[in-house]
Amino acid sequence: MFEDDELGIEKLLFNLSALSDLGEEITSPNEFQRIVKSSLYLIMGTFSVSKGAIFQYDPDKMELSHLVSKGLGEIKDAKVTIMTETVNHMVKANHLISAINSGPADIKIGEDAFIEQIKADIIVPIVARGELLGILTLGDRLSDEKYSKNDKKILSIMIQQIALSLHNHTIFHRLNRKNEENMKERLYHIYYGTIHALAAAIDAKDAYTRGHSHRVSAYCVAMAEGLGWGKTDMEGLRVAGLLHDIGKIAVEKSIINKTSDLSNDEIKELNRHPLIGYQILSRAKFPWEGVPEIVRNHHEKVNGRGYPDGLKGADISRGARIMALADAFDAMTTDRPYRKQLPLETALLEIKKHMNIQFDTEAASAFFSVLKKEIKGETEEPVILPYIHGPIDKIKIGRLLDGLTGNA
Amino acid sequence: MTTEHHKMKVLKDCAIVYSDNYLNAIEGEKLEEECEELLEKGFRKVVIDFTSTELVNSIGISILIGIMEKVKENNGKLLFSSLRKGNIDAFKMLGLTKYVPIYETEQDALDSVLQG
Repeated sequence: MFEDDELGIEKLLFNLSALSDLGEEITSPNEFQRIVKSSLYLIMGTFSVSKGAIFQYDPDKMELSHLVSKGLGEIKDAKVTIMTETVNHMVKANHLISAINSGPADIKIGEDAFIEQIKADIIVPIVARGELLGILTLGDRLSDEKYSKNDKKILSIMIQQIALSLHNHTIFHRLNRKNEENMKERLYHIYYGTIHALAAAIDAKDAYTRGHSHRVSAYCVAMAEGLGWGKTDMEGLRVAGLLHDIGKIAVEKSIINKTSDLSNDEIKELNRHPLIGYQILSRAKFPWEGVPEIVRNHHEKVNGRGYPDGLKGADISRGARIMALADAFDAMTTDRPYRKQLPLETALLEIKKHMNIQFDTEAASAFFSVLKKEIKGETEEPVILPYIHGPIDKIKIGRLLDGLTGNA
Repeated sequence: MTTEHHKMKVLKDCAIVYSDNYLNAIEGEKLEEECEELLEKGFRKVVIDFTSTELVNSIGISILIGIMEKVKENNGKLLFSSLRKGNIDAFKMLGLTKYVPIYETEQDALDSVLQG
């Protein structure tokens, strides 16, 4: 064991060749993970160490997480949060080797469990441009030697090379992530902009139903939220709501806006719109499942008397069951070519009357609960109430909803 | 450097693995994996023969240390044979020879390990 050895010519040559190998690896077009792994192996081989690892530092989480390791078994999940003080200390130490708990240049990293896991004899901070990028940990040397001044010099040069590679990768990664986020946001806006424009185009055909698609969409989402749906499914339902009447594009405008009774043929023609909507939408690729199906079945009734498929109960998708109710409620609470809007109370009693016949019980209960919260002022941003025109007797409706939700 | 299986030979409870021309890149880990498989199969005596190996660099050393550790964990015996002088010097310098006996030829290694 010696601290300040004269570097023998053999060792010098070996170290030089290791350095040149490292340079070659780092400048190679190989993928990042491979470069870091090769670098770790090179260093471990150079100092004949059987256990070692490289951890990457995430400044947002203030966390060191596993990048590569050798001889430590399954430690892929090993991570540790470190204090700002430690980070500053490591940046200052800049590539200087520090043994744990053995001197003034100590770096105490987080919990003992982590130190135990990484079996580190020394920890070397990887620093570039005053920024901590990670750490290298090395266990005991096979030769039982301590790290001499020369060893430390060589290690320091090696770490500087790795630091540059890590630095470039981090910058590249950050830029990429930012671009990706921006791109996603822009695409999102374009997507919804297009769908909203489509919804407006659909509603424009019907003089009376301006805003109908938006309201149905909003009601559906409020109900789905009440039923505990996941975010992704809710987005699908929101879009299905906006597009549910798209099939009406193919129906004669005169039929849609007719004020007198429709003939059988005209009813048949009008009732084609869910199927046409399905045919249109099933050609588009949506990032959510079931959008065309919801549109197809939004006029089904749980007793099987709806159209176009005459599906019963649970055979109708849960999104379509919710939408059938939202659609009917909006139809009742707005003026139609053939009649004025119905009072809110009447509309609610109609839903109650047709529960389990036309409407799904679960959907109806969810709807009543959402509206009850809104009436009682328990919701920060009410969805349904703002769309209901005319005076509302909140006490009366509140009591009615108490009864409907089984809370008299 | 090839990622194909290394040549191998089995003699009684001893396995001989032939390292190929270079042990100087991460692909060399294949050798470590193969030795691990041998240990899993129950072999406790492993000879690595370096007749075809020109150069072992630091990555190669790291891989060989990995093999040494695994053989040790399994209470096995590891031997090296037919190493070039330059490589022996490096192994000595790095302390590997303290843990792994080195024989001039594959036969010498086999004679020794099969006797013991």
